[in-house]
Amino acid sequence: MDLTTEMNKRNMPCIMVDIAVTINGSTVSGQSGMTILEVARENGIDIPTLCHRTEFTPIGACRVCVVEVEGSRTLVGSCHTPITEGMVIHTHSPKVLETRRTIVELLLASHSGTCYMCDKANICELRAIAADLDVGFPEFQVRRRYYPIEDDSPYIVRDLTKCILCRRCVWACREVAKKDVFAIGYRGFDSKVVVDSDQPLNKEVCRDCGICIPFCPTGALGKPRKIAEEKEGQLLIVKG
Amino acid sequence: MNNHPQQPSNRSEDRQNLLLLLKDAQRRSGYLSDQLMRELAESVGVTCSEIYGVGTFYSFLSTRPQGRNIIRACKSLPCCLKDSHLVISSIEGAIGIRAGEITPDGRFSFELVNCIGACDSAPAILVNNDLYTELTPRKISQILKEYD
Repeated sequence: MDLTTEMNKRNMPCIMVDIAVTINGSTVSGQSGMTILEVARENGIDIPTLCHRTEFTPIGACRVCVVEVEGSRTLVGSCHTPITEGMVIHTHSPKVLETRRTIVELLLASHSGTCYMCDKANICELRAIAADLDVGFPEFQVRRRYYPIEDDSPYIVRDLTKCILCRRCVWACREVAKKDVFAIGYRGFDSKVVVDSDQPLNKEVCRDCGICIPFCPTGALGKPRKIAEEKEGQLLIVKG
Repeated sequence: MNNHPQQPSNRSEDRQNLLLLLKDAQRRSGYLSDQLMRELAESVGVTCSEIYGVGTFYSFLSTRPQGRNIIRACKSLPCCLKDSHLVISSIEGAIGIRAGEITPDGRFSFELVNCIGACDSAPAILVNNDLYTELTPRKISQILKEYD
């Protein structure tokens, strides 16, 4: 993405200064205002991301992209941390990998439903990341959140049971569609993506757009599908 | 003469003051009704979802009607280690409702909240703006008598 617009978006002065950083032992250079993730990707280092999309400002919600920065008290999210001169970064140290696995395991633990029954199982980014990091069935015993499927809207079907609160739909609606229909409501374990005053998604508030659907990493948002209308002619009654 | 009552600059300032506006609205009308949130969203220039999100995040903002007196019991770890669950069940017994409910006569509403900053003398509860600390289940009925 164009770096200038990116920097304007973050209210940064638009002066390009080359900055040298060390990633996984080799010295590379980036420009001021670039994030660790951008520099790593430019140099062919693969850091997994989930909530991050180049279309909008970094969210930093999912923590899947954490990396180790020497001298920093905690691991930092690479998608939203700008590089500074002389930064020493480890993207795949044992500590990072262990933390990343735990984070994905936690995401899986609060994501209800089985992949066998999910339409989006083969295009699910959460499942892909879990497979990449070799995360199996989550050990954490948390109370699962179940919500009724919202299929009132003719444009979007929403199943919040599968939602992992990555906030991509909120940002996509705000910054790509410029509509701002979604927000995060409640707190802690009760958090969920709300529409209006926690109404089911309907065509009153959300009209013909569907921009958020491809942004959803899981099966929480989808296009409505009426199976019976996909067959021409009369319905079959199959016996035996 | 300015024909535009709401200028964009005011709006963004209003948005920064959203929490204060919500607190003010809550003090005036007791709770944040749907109608009130809609009006506020309109005047601040944000969507209703955002107002609702902020309103439901904070324990001291309410999107539902409340009783005349509000009991807030701490559910965080320090109070829990000091047997706050006994205090909580004692409150539930004394007023006959569970957390998150209002008594039928509208005298009390009871909520569980996160840390209220009195960990040094846990377990603690707040009734309206009064703090009560180092509680035991026996002290509860005495305290609640004072509120009508």
